[in-house]
Amino acid sequence: MEDTKPTLILDHVSKSFGDFVAVSDLSLQVRAGRVFGLIGPNGAGKTTTIRMIVNITAPDSGRVELFGQTMRTAMQDRIGYLPEERGLYKKMKIGEQLRFFAELKDLRGAEAEKRIDIWLKKLDLFSWKEKRTKELSKGMQQKVQFITAVIHDPDLVILDEPFSGLDPVNVELISDTILEQKAAGKTIILSTHQMEIAEKLCDDVCMINRSHKVLDGKLREIRRSFSRNAVALQFQGEDGLLNDPTLVASIRQHGDDTEVLLVPGASPQELLRRLVEANVAVTKFELVEPRLHDIFIEKVREVA
Amino acid sequence: MRKFLAVVKREYIQRVRTKFFIVATVLGPLFLAGFTILPAVMFGIRSGGPTRLAILDESGKMYERVAKELTSGKKPSDEDAAQTLEQTSSGNNNAKEKIDQANKLSRTSYLVEDVPLKGRSVADSRTDLEKRIQTHELDGYIVLPANLLKDGQAEFRLRNAADVFTVSSVAAAISRAVRGERLAEARIDEKLVDEASEPIKLRTTGAGGQESKGEASFYLAFGAGLLIYMSVLLYGQFVLGAVIEEKETRIAEILFSSMRAFPLMMGKLIGVSLVALTQLGIWGLAFLIFSVWAAVGSSIPLPQIPAMLFVYFVIYFLMGYFVYATVYAVVGSMVTTTQEGGQMALPVVLMLVAGFLLSRNIIRSPNSSLAFWTSMFPFFAPITMLMRIVTETPPLWQILLSLGIGVATIIGLVWVASRIYRVGMLMYGKKATIPEVWRWVRQS
Repeated sequence: MEDTKPTLILDHVSKSFGDFVAVSDLSLQVRAGRVFGLIGPNGAGKTTTIRMIVNITAPDSGRVELFGQTMRTAMQDRIGYLPEERGLYKKMKIGEQLRFFAELKDLRGAEAEKRIDIWLKKLDLFSWKEKRTKELSKGMQQKVQFITAVIHDPDLVILDEPFSGLDPVNVELISDTILEQKAAGKTIILSTHQMEIAEKLCDDVCMINRSHKVLDGKLREIRRSFSRNAVALQFQGEDGLLNDPTLVASIRQHGDDTEVLLVPGASPQELLRRLVEANVAVTKFELVEPRLHDIFIEKVREVA
Repeated sequence: MRKFLAVVKREYIQRVRTKFFIVATVLGPLFLAGFTILPAVMFGIRSGGPTRLAILDESGKMYERVAKELTSGKKPSDEDAAQTLEQTSSGNNNAKEKIDQANKLSRTSYLVEDVPLKGRSVADSRTDLEKRIQTHELDGYIVLPANLLKDGQAEFRLRNAADVFTVSSVAAAISRAVRGERLAEARIDEKLVDEASEPIKLRTTGAGGQESKGEASFYLAFGAGLLIYMSVLLYGQFVLGAVIEEKETRIAEILFSSMRAFPLMMGKLIGVSLVALTQLGIWGLAFLIFSVWAAVGSSIPLPQIPAMLFVYFVIYFLMGYFVYATVYAVVGSMVTTTQEGGQMALPVVLMLVAGFLLSRNIIRSPNSSLAFWTSMFPFFAPITMLMRIVTETPPLWQILLSLGIGVATIIGLVWVASRIYRVGMLMYGKKATIPEVWRWVRQS
């Protein structure tokens, strides 16, 4: 992945509002054709970071470099941004709104018209084109807002909580669309609190807490590094083997699974061998990769 | 620039095609006409037919005159006066129960009836009359005492004493009758007195000896102020609403990720203002057509106003409108609801009223330093500079300077508004206090 030049580089970026430090000395790189997850608790500085990337506000110090150039207003047209705080003009028809937002991204005329239709069809909204916003359900409005972020075919798409208010079918629809964009070589920055979705979609993850970066890298590597030597088990018949303190640190019931945390140094192989020897009927034996959810909570607690 | 135009276009089209705009544009002039014409018509027409009044004349010689004044409902013409004199000299004709027809003149609305005493006491007659008022046979009666011509007090009993219009018209009629009778007794010709009281005709000329631009021009300057005042009150709310709209709908952040705040704010201001100007333009045109039509029909000459003055009128109206509209934009960028905004903008709009108050001084001494400075101050200039131009046109450089200051103020205020708007949005849309706003404008 080091072979391509990063789409976006934040270089020791800081931003304060009065006495409040929103982002402190943040550096990160986002590569093309990948989904980059920006996660962190509320008030961590994610939105401020994104606003500096889209040039709504300038950093106090540090540098934002996009497409190999220092950020300029003109580059805003190559970015698609779906803010967390978002809305639509209530009295405008859907087609008109999309036309207006496209114009703001310097896309107009027949080309704009064509793309509006393509996107409305793609997200099952075409029959609503001449309807006003207030006639649409919240989920439909969310999808229209999503279109405003991608209508001008931007190279960098920034999505802040794109799934809030969507039913599972539409979550799937938007997820697929994001992956399509990725496949088309776009760079996607995804900020969300829904860790299961982030886990599914993100290639890279950066976690911010209290204005500082606390984690950064490929999702797979991060998860591996957080491996806690745990095994998920399903079995029948057990004779106190799991109570052996030289092997097992703790046990926790997780749905149908019994999650066994091994003592440091003990290998899962050893556990499996002992279970087989003890004639336990093992129906499931799986090394547990830590969930992003758990890593998130662990990291937030660590700082607190 | 194209994004700026996109904002202008959106603001304009979204507003112009609303039913509200179309209805207001059509009904506006009708309401205006209604408000000016209707009251006049309504005061003219009394519902429920003429007011029936009885006159109890103790003096025995005033009835004819009072009845005439009441039924004619106007200042007696020369002819009437002569007739009245004649009648008085021929003596009273009390025996005849005479009821004057009220509809001799279209305006009269009194039916007057003489109540001869016929030796009965005044108190008895009163009781009778009160009864007739109770039974709605009469609406009221007047008692004229014997010493009315000296210092006697006439009395007016009216069922609806709150009807100030009737009371004042009756009082005026009695006064005129008494004046006529007094003149007649003093052997003075009433006609002569009326002629002697005729007001003079005055022709005003300016310093150069040419006919003054005159009253019509003065009203034009005053009208410009009034027009600014009205349109600011009417459309200021529109500007306010347009600026607040994206805060309420939470679209601001999407906009800021696509364009800078200044062209956005400018686009909103221009877009909404074009709506205002469209509406005013339609009204203005309708008014112009109407007055030309009326003038042609009635042969009343149109007021003579120099063409250049019209140009100044338009320029200063635009400047005045935009100066105050930008104040609404600044306020809109600070608050979260239109109601709050209206309250905050009001003190500034009152400056316009101050401009009106100053105009008296300006007309008297259009070259004083007060006149100069107030016509440079952008919040007063639209009124005060126009007044100066009408009265004694100042040098061109002063006019250009005041316009320059006005334009700079407008641009400056839009810049401030866009700044507050953007920073306010970054502060998670909370309402801004004045010190905070000041800090935002300086920093970031």
